[in-house]
Amino acid sequence: MLKVSKIIVLLITFVYILTGCTTDSKNIDDQAYAIMVGIDKGVENKIRLTVQFPTYKGGGNGSSSGAGGGGGGSEEKESGQIGGTVVTSIECSTVLEGINLLSTSTTRHISLFHCKAIIFSEQLAYEGINFYLSDFARFRETRRIATIGVCRGKAEDYIMENKTLIGENISKSIELSFAQSKNSGLFPLVGFTNFYKSTISPYSQAYSVYMGINNFKKLENENKGQNPPLKTDEQYYPGEVPKKGNKKQEMIGTAVFNGDKLTGTLNADETRYFLMIVNEFKHGILTVEDKKHPGMAIPFDLRPGRKSDIKVRFDKSTPVIDINLNIEADIVGIQSGMHYESLDKIKELNGLLKGCIEDEVRKTVEKVQKQMGTDIFGFGYYAASKFLTIDDFEKYNWVSHFIDAKINVSVYTNVRRTGLMAESMPVRYRTKTAK
Amino acid sequence: MIKEGKFGTAEATYLITLVIASKTFYTSIRVMIKNTGTAAWYMTLVSCLVSIIFFLLISLVMKRFPGKNLVDIFQLVTGRFFGKILTLVFSAYYVYYAGSSLREFLEMIKAYNLPYTPPSLIIFAFMAVVIILAYIGLESIARLASVSFYPIFIGIALILFLAYPYYNVRAIFPIGGYGIEETIKSGFFRSSAYDEVIILAFIINSIDGVKTFKKVGIYSILISGVAVVFTCLCNIMAFDYTMASENVSDLFQLARVIYFSRFFQRIESIFLFIWIIASLITVGLAFYIAISIFCKAFKISNHRPLILQFAFLTFMVTLLPEGLIELAKINIVVMREYSMIIIYGIPILVLIISVIFGKRGDRQCLKSVK
Amino acid sequence: MSKKKGFIKTLFSYITYKEKKPVKQFYIPETDNEDTKTEQEKNNTVKSQKNRRIKRPVPVSESSKENKPEYEKADDEKISISIEENIKYIKHKFNSPANKDIVIRELTVAKKYKAFIAYIDGMVDRITINNFILRALMVNDVKIDEDSDDKCMLDFILSNILQTNQAKKVDNPDEFMYEILSGNTLLYVDGCDFYISNETKGFDKRGVEKPLIEGVVLGSQEAFNENLRTNVTLIRKLIKNNNLTTEFIKVGNVNKQLCAVMSIKGLTNPAIVEEVKRRLKNIKSDMVLGDGILEQFIEDNPYSIVPTILSTERPDRAASHILEGKVAILVEGAPFAKIVPVTLPALMHSPEDSYMRWPYGTLIRIIRFIAAFIATLLPGLYVAITNFHQEMIPTELLIAIAKAKENVPFPTIVEVVLMELSFELIREAGIRIPGIIGNTLGIIGALILGQAAVQANIVSPVLIIVVSVTGLGNFAIPNYSLALAARVSRFCFIILGALLGFYGISIGIALFAILITNIKSFGVPFFAPIAPKTKESSDLFFKKPTWQQMYRPDYVNALKQKRQAKISRQWTEEEPKYSYERDEEDD
Repeated sequence: MLKVSKIIVLLITFVYILTGCTTDSKNIDDQAYAIMVGIDKGVENKIRLTVQFPTYKGGGNGSSSGAGGGGGGSEEKESGQIGGTVVTSIECSTVLEGINLLSTSTTRHISLFHCKAIIFSEQLAYEGINFYLSDFARFRETRRIATIGVCRGKAEDYIMENKTLIGENISKSIELSFAQSKNSGLFPLVGFTNFYKSTISPYSQAYSVYMGINNFKKLENENKGQNPPLKTDEQYYPGEVPKKGNKKQEMIGTAVFNGDKLTGTLNADETRYFLMIVNEFKHGILTVEDKKHPGMAIPFDLRPGRKSDIKVRFDKSTPVIDINLNIEADIVGIQSGMHYESLDKIKELNGLLKGCIEDEVRKTVEKVQKQMGTDIFGFGYYAASKFLTIDDFEKYNWVSHFIDAKINVSVYTNVRRTGLMAESMPVRYRTKTAK
Repeated sequence: MIKEGKFGTAEATYLITLVIASKTFYTSIRVMIKNTGTAAWYMTLVSCLVSIIFFLLISLVMKRFPGKNLVDIFQLVTGRFFGKILTLVFSAYYVYYAGSSLREFLEMIKAYNLPYTPPSLIIFAFMAVVIILAYIGLESIARLASVSFYPIFIGIALILFLAYPYYNVRAIFPIGGYGIEETIKSGFFRSSAYDEVIILAFIINSIDGVKTFKKVGIYSILISGVAVVFTCLCNIMAFDYTMASENVSDLFQLARVIYFSRFFQRIESIFLFIWIIASLITVGLAFYIAISIFCKAFKISNHRPLILQFAFLTFMVTLLPEGLIELAKINIVVMREYSMIIIYGIPILVLIISVIFGKRGDRQCLKSVK
Repeated sequence: MSKKKGFIKTLFSYITYKEKKPVKQFYIPETDNEDTKTEQEKNNTVKSQKNRRIKRPVPVSESSKENKPEYEKADDEKISISIEENIKYIKHKFNSPANKDIVIRELTVAKKYKAFIAYIDGMVDRITINNFILRALMVNDVKIDEDSDDKCMLDFILSNILQTNQAKKVDNPDEFMYEILSGNTLLYVDGCDFYISNETKGFDKRGVEKPLIEGVVLGSQEAFNENLRTNVTLIRKLIKNNNLTTEFIKVGNVNKQLCAVMSIKGLTNPAIVEEVKRRLKNIKSDMVLGDGILEQFIEDNPYSIVPTILSTERPDRAASHILEGKVAILVEGAPFAKIVPVTLPALMHSPEDSYMRWPYGTLIRIIRFIAAFIATLLPGLYVAITNFHQEMIPTELLIAIAKAKENVPFPTIVEVVLMELSFELIREAGIRIPGIIGNTLGIIGALILGQAAVQANIVSPVLIIVVSVTGLGNFAIPNYSLALAARVSRFCFIILGALLGFYGISIGIALFAILITNIKSFGVPFFAPIAPKTKESSDLFFKKPTWQQMYRPDYVNALKQKRQAKISRQWTEEEPKYSYERDEEDD
């Protein structure tokens, strides 16, 4: 009997102690997982926080319930239901405070564990975002692998448009859309870690993807009757791409920061050349106008041949920066049908491409350097090797000298392959011969 | 005399290496980078070198008294009374060490993983294992170490490797850090981080004599040195010296940012396993050594009855600091920067005294080995 | 008063310290091979001068090749003509008083010629011996030619009297030893210098069936049965060596269960045999039935969760372990052999590993280790991840799980325990359900139960996968006791995972590691090749090719460490008999 009573006493104590254990345990379905967080400038308070999290409707156990969603009535619009997710906005002083406040109206605890992206509005970014970033950096729930973005217009509107059209899975579509950076080379992909690192780093400054909403108004419907000219440059900012249909969200261009403040933006073209310098450019199509046949285009499939070779020298105290890029290209098409594939012509083509890229790279660097006065290229890393101690380097104040730096750009291009065609035959009877 | 069992060179090396290298999981890397900036990674090589020199000096002491452990030597050289006092200093230090390490562990696991669980519960769970380790004895700690050595080091290597997309080799410049002077000064004091190697001198009877002692000591300093160098280097490359001196635990942070694809990310919880087991071994060994030294000083043949009392003391030490800041500013600074004054200082003082008074181990010492 | 005093005493005993008696533990003394070898060599050289005898038995693998020194004794070279000498010799060879297998029957042929027959009990067919050897010899007095003045009658007997189908002259000690070991009966008549070997093989083959638990695809399909004699014979059949010794010990005060301890003399460390015998002899219990009970009586750590004795139903496995220098214990009435000492990796090995070519063997072994990991930890990890570390699950899966769980009223831990319990229920019931329906019912029960539980919103679908994979993993563990240990510890890990997440599981793993590394199996640390670290093993997680496994496991401290020559495939060294010079143009 004594033993039984002992065991009971032990059990009770254990249960008492162990109930303390599970304070950190939360069931999966007790939480809602924010997948995107947007921060706007508030009207009454500091910020306006927008959070998107998926609902658990639909799907479920196999056959039982039909497809979720199903026609967005006005009531759904009001409660912020968008394609299987809920979007909610709140005005508050800090981000975490906002999330705390949101739990008064959400049925579950909002967790930031799976936050895929943090989006700041342009307006807020111009004023500095480190206050909010450091909140995220300190808080254990937020992931430092979230993507940072700056939104043209309001982040709230951007998130309202965040829905998936192709698949059903919102988080998958977010991650895949970010990964498009590698395919197009028209916008950079910056994670929280690198962004935050750059805001406090002495070596380089921060940049992020520039995003916005496209209302499909750029696409002119009327044909004015004459032949439009060939436009090979893509000087688009978010919302300016002439298109129709598909998602309204658009990620194109780069937001350039100085410290934690936005100082300017790069358009799609500039972003491509910027990515080439920082070795983030993986692949992309570039169209160049055929010099010999104006109005005709030659699209190239570009990829980096080698990592960019950057050297920083000092001429007295002004830095001289040599940028050597090595770009490989495949010919995707030759509209003029000219026989560019021969040995001497290919050099010509190389020269054409080289001139084009060199020019643009120089312009891009200059734009960032002179207009925005910031070093997003990370040239500071190369300059740092010329200093012995951190004190020296910090005293030198790299960014202030970078503005006056002399930039030499040289690009080595190599057209390696010609696609599936070894050479092209011109179209024979293009001009009308019949009476 | 307390019976501690025997184990081989490899196991001893695993044990000491793990205890030294487990610092990479904690705040150590951050403090190093904070103090010496980009020079942190070779600063620790300076510490290694200093430690090896001190260690060789200590091995001279051990050589003079073959077959005796450090406690015996203290008593032989400085007499029973002072010898006991010196030994008690070490015992007290290891209680402090165990307590502070446990607190550091606690603060980190609360910061990163279990923020709302009552701390006493985490400590209880941890101490339970430590007590079992100490109860079974040194052999069990050595065996646990040899079982978990490869998983732990493979784990660290994996984290460092998987984070490579973040690395920017150029971030190690400016190469000089905050100046050579600062680096060497820091390096010298930071040799405290390697002073766990002195534990070997207390358990010299469990390993095979002075030759193994020397070999194990130097190997473990070197292996853990390499581990610290690489962790440091990778953290500087990934975070620059600025952000790396912000994070509570740099290695944990590195594990947190690993992102390979949609599927392969967020693996920091795996990091928990190796980290917790490494901490268990560290605290377990320190705790056991505190008891063992005490037993040796007072010629207690069985250490088991003392375990609860020492566990209580350790628990008290764990609760001493008010919070993470106090812990980082006092306990950890004492442990990792100034402990070398005691740890290396006392044996070397003993060496000097024994040289001056011409004391050395006699034949009987040798006989008692066999 | 006295009661009070006693109370105070007990009270006092709680707070004072009493020195405990130190418990001495068994360990296997190391035998330094290098030393013995050099000693032996020294003896060899010295012997020629001093004519000293070696008393140390020659290790098995050497006996075939280097048996010259052993047979320098008079009757090693040829057969003595004295009957006493021959009996003594056979007895000596088979370690006779200790080894009860050998039977020597003395008789007189034609009332005047002293003779004996020798055979191994259990290996021979008694009817043949009785009817066609003994009767023939003892009854046919008349036939024996009176006026034959041959000293040796055996030639006559061979051609005239013996009625066995195969009988031949054997005049080489090496050969007759083999004849006996194969189950033949030797006949010797005084005055001869050779034996006659009669074909009498007749070991019990009845009841030797396929192994039920340790089935393999490739490899022998024999299993032990309940007959001790048969079991011993099954092993002896595989190890044809005169040094294989079977010692019998009766265990249990009342039922006197017969235990056989099998080892190879001159190879197994005698300390192990000694210790096994000591433990067996010192069991003071009325009844020891079967080897499951025996195991509990002789194991080192009765409180350990993992078994420290390997039990196998396969004679080939037992034989291979005996050849590694371990000891097999067989009990009358149990179709299992117990192997001691073993280590954890050995428990995870399956006999099939060595029957297959090494890449395949290594692959399935790795799969088995993964299976063991899954069987022990997966549900615990699942609970920990879903309750504490949601960040680890990919977002898509996380949301899918949450969606599926939306209508499930229970927390994860309840779901897991529920499913685990019902799975255990199916397993346990499956054993009891008679005959053929048992297996089918188990599978169908699991499927239907899982499906129904999901549809009834009692558990989430992912959990069914977790539980069934765990169950599969459990079945992949080759040792039944170890699989049970995994089942028990799985529940511990579930609880730890539910209480403290990965922290709890890590602590559990550490505890587990501490406990496992500190138990011993007959003096051998259970985690032997890893902790404590011993010599590199060629057969641990990865299996080296068989021809490269030069040494026996280090931890058993066998008298002879080397198990095969450094170049075990000697044919690679020499040129083939039919060979041609291969030109460069040849292809």
